[in-house]
Amino acid sequence: MTNILIQGLALSGLYALVAVGFTMIFSVGRVLNLAHGVFLMLGGYAYYTAVQVFGISKGAGIAIAVLAGAAFGILTYTVLVRRLEHNPIAVEISTLILAVVMQALIVVVYTSAPKSMWPIVPGVFRHEGVFVSHNILAAMVLSWIVLGGLVVFVRRTRLGRALRAVSMDRKGAVISGIDPHRMSLATWAISGGLAALAGVFFATYTQLTPGMWVAPLIIAVAVVVVGGIGSIVGSLVVAHLIGFMETVTTTLVAAELRGVFTMVLVIVVLVIVPKGLFGREEL
Amino acid sequence: MPLARPLLGWLAFAVVMCLVPVFVSTGTVRILVFANFLAIFAMSWDVISGRTGYISFGHPFLIGIAGYTTAMLTYHLDTPLWLSIPAGVFATLVGGTLFLLPALRIRGTYFALVTLAFMELMYQLTQVIAPKVTGGTRGLSGIPTIVSGAIPNYYLTFGLVFAIGLGLWFVLRTRIGAALAALRMDEGAVAASGLSTIRLKLFAFMTSAAVAGIGGAFYVHYLGSIAPRGLFDINFLFTILVAALLGGSSTVAGPILGAYFLTFLLEYLRPYLPGPERYVIYGMIALVVYVLEPRGLHAILRTGARRLAPLLARRRIAP
Repeated sequence: MTNILIQGLALSGLYALVAVGFTMIFSVGRVLNLAHGVFLMLGGYAYYTAVQVFGISKGAGIAIAVLAGAAFGILTYTVLVRRLEHNPIAVEISTLILAVVMQALIVVVYTSAPKSMWPIVPGVFRHEGVFVSHNILAAMVLSWIVLGGLVVFVRRTRLGRALRAVSMDRKGAVISGIDPHRMSLATWAISGGLAALAGVFFATYTQLTPGMWVAPLIIAVAVVVVGGIGSIVGSLVVAHLIGFMETVTTTLVAAELRGVFTMVLVIVVLVIVPKGLFGREEL
Repeated sequence: MPLARPLLGWLAFAVVMCLVPVFVSTGTVRILVFANFLAIFAMSWDVISGRTGYISFGHPFLIGIAGYTTAMLTYHLDTPLWLSIPAGVFATLVGGTLFLLPALRIRGTYFALVTLAFMELMYQLTQVIAPKVTGGTRGLSGIPTIVSGAIPNYYLTFGLVFAIGLGLWFVLRTRIGAALAALRMDEGAVAASGLSTIRLKLFAFMTSAAVAGIGGAFYVHYLGSIAPRGLFDINFLFTILVAALLGGSSTVAGPILGAYFLTFLLEYLRPYLPGPERYVIYGMIALVVYVLEPRGLHAILRTGARRLAPLLARRRIAP
């Protein structure tokens, strides 16, 4: 029982971190970024290169990964998304193509062989038959800090409020002197950085491979769809719902079935409550 | 709309494609077989997504239903092909109605996501539920093939492309095609003019599913094997989607054109870029063409022809 609780919390924290950037982009720009998984993958590979190839310290490695993710977010927005913004379907399709291109690029640079990452926080937590790696606990704590910070940022700071204004009413925001393109740019940068951070932990949780972007994308889609596209708090709650559901399925039913239930949940929610359980389309 | 010129175009297409194996190597013919399958899948995708605007990210789901049905029937029960292939197509039609369920309420982004979830669900299910029947992660191999050799397979698959293409062209140039296009532009207006949007969607989804089913069933009996990885895969989806979009969605010739273009682009890059760089360039070209001209090669060629026509005509008069 304790085992399920701790593992569920840890996994949910990771999922929330994976999904939150995806939510923000939809909320502010009304477009889906299907290259979101690639942002995570880039973060993972950037960290790997910095720490395990060049031997830089772990903290600096994480910082490099976050910067790389943010830079790639900005690049994706300015080069690609900016000119297609009026057509959400075109954004989805072009970011999907971008994801496949980036996957090929990763194969060119790092080959398709999987790379295993050293845990960022080594060691295992043991308590009365409960085993959880320190690494995933660190991911959980970090995700709480980051998400808490994000909520404060969105509610309390000027930039955060401007983002919310754009997500609530784009026209109204423009009238009040907010440039929605700059807000979108900021969102893509933040989303890219957060995704890269999530990617570092996600890669230590699984493995670093050129195809690893699909799984987090599916998670982000699931969390965001069930939570109601665009709601940060909704995504947070649903990340826990899905995280716990998967943990319970893995420990009590069968490990192979965990993805099945998540997909069934996505389909059922989309068909019955298309707006999601917390359906509001603002931050 | 006069019929003669487009029909002449179809005829010319058939003649050229039938002569191709005479002039090219067996290797190229094998590549063409894959291009033909891709053309079928792209045409199928276009019926639902290009025409009605319901973007499907789950097309491999439809293809996989037919593929798995016929593969399991022939592998476990030794069902003859003339029975198992129609059974596969029928199963896909059922899958097509599953797509209709969400489409009654949601469209655009949400619809694309739910179809993606369908594909992912199928990927998981084939591996988990009854792995003895589906072959689990490794899939099934040793499935009977219809004909053997590159050239017979080429004629078989090209026959399919031609029949499906011509059939779709005939159906979609009627008022049904116009109604589907109207559905893409403004669903409310279609309903307001007294047409049943549900029936129209059902028609589009069924047609798309039937074509995907035929393609999927024949594809499995060409490969002789089926496995969840590679089939229920975003990369496979990417190829289908890009073939249809790059060629020109909402046309019949476009997806066929796009399928041949993509397949040969990948092949012709091979001598210059033998390594994995090829896929980067290939994807980049797809991305650039899509961003610059979302209507695809079909539109580029058409505009080009329109610009060239007066020039050619003038030259004919001048001397």
